[in-house]
Amino acid sequence: MSSQSQRPLELILARNLMSALSTPAFLVDEGGILVFYNEAAGMLLGKRFEEVGTVGPEEWGSMFGPFDEGDEPIPYDELPLVVAVRNGRPAHADFEIRSVDGTHHRIEASAFPILTPHGSQGAIAIFWPAEGEGDSPDTTASRNGTGA
Amino acid sequence: MKVKLWGTRGSVPSPGPETIRYGGNTSCVGLTLSDGSLLALDAGTGIRNLGLALPEEPTRLHILLTHLHLDHIQGLVFFAPAFRPQTEIVIWGPASPEASLRDRIARYISAPLSPVEVRELPCDVSFRHTPETEWEIGSARIRAASVAHRGPTLGYRIDDGGSSLAYIPDHEPALGADIDALDEDWISGFALAQGADMLIHDGQYADAEYPDHIGWGHSSLSHSLSFARRTGAKRTVLFHHDPLHSDARLDALGAEARERWAATGGRPEEVELGVEGGEYEVRAPAPQAVEQA
Repeated sequence: MSSQSQRPLELILARNLMSALSTPAFLVDEGGILVFYNEAAGMLLGKRFEEVGTVGPEEWGSMFGPFDEGDEPIPYDELPLVVAVRNGRPAHADFEIRSVDGTHHRIEASAFPILTPHGSQGAIAIFWPAEGEGDSPDTTASRNGTGA
Repeated sequence: MKVKLWGTRGSVPSPGPETIRYGGNTSCVGLTLSDGSLLALDAGTGIRNLGLALPEEPTRLHILLTHLHLDHIQGLVFFAPAFRPQTEIVIWGPASPEASLRDRIARYISAPLSPVEVRELPCDVSFRHTPETEWEIGSARIRAASVAHRGPTLGYRIDDGGSSLAYIPDHEPALGADIDALDEDWISGFALAQGADMLIHDGQYADAEYPDHIGWGHSSLSHSLSFARRTGAKRTVLFHHDPLHSDARLDALGAEARERWAATGGRPEEVELGVEGGEYEVRAPAPQAVEQA
């Protein structure tokens, strides 16, 4: 019998869809591990997924945040993606994330769970620039001025 | 494990002089396990001839359905053993949040589409959703997993006596993805087919036909060959032939498949197009001699 681990089909199809989107999108598995983000998200963060790879929440937090308006790290448990995957409910929030060059981007994130007949397999989050922050991730204003 | 292809056609039965060699019956593969247990993979119109070939003595048979599209269940009401009280049939298939497997199949085996109802079948028939984990049927260990197609669809892997068969007749692993570039664990159906001694896989479209059928749930020849190469299947039988493909067209596709397989380092005889009535014996690879240093 094969011993190769296999991602659930629902995650595979979600990744395929996200790969075709121009909106930044993130994918976590049922354990809350970031398993993919698309090119648009890579442009926002300043690093392609292929350079980052699969990362757990602590590593993710140290690289990209997120942060609240007071520049305090937002607890992992409060992130929309984590709420979605743990509670099986959609979630929405706005916060800041930090790209690799130190630029902060204020964004809104909507996350929804990937529910299957076998239970929750993960969640997808789609990001937009927060209202008043520009029309696309490329034009998102940055607090330090380097990203505008 | 003995394998016989009772129906190799996809989508709709396509009998006629132009399809007489590859056959016009829809998906059905018969398996005889090493302990004599009988399995049918899908119940397209090919299962009618499988039923006629079975003895009338008491029989226990497992039917493993990949999904409930008509070309995979249409033969059920023409399956002679189902009309014998001494037959026990266990039908396995994908779960759905909408309705039970029995109720979904009963939509076909009921008026006005069928003259009989499921409850009227004289055989002992039961319906089971495939488990998430491996399970045993006779001497085999069976594994089912969802694969990329339209609607809830499974592929199967059957391991018996050290040999393995992967059956993924309806599959579009390249939908929105580049099979050649993805990591293995992100390829639909990969774990089912990995290293299989025999892979029976969707080969519905020629490459030139695929762009007009993206999202229909099937593979182009290139996708099928890439999938076979990535999974390391030892022998690949392309299956679920398009109903518009005549014998001559399939001959040409088969020649192209072998040529392209050889061009990537394989042996031409490792890839072929399934022919109705084709029989195989899937055996475990012979042990390799260990060279002494």
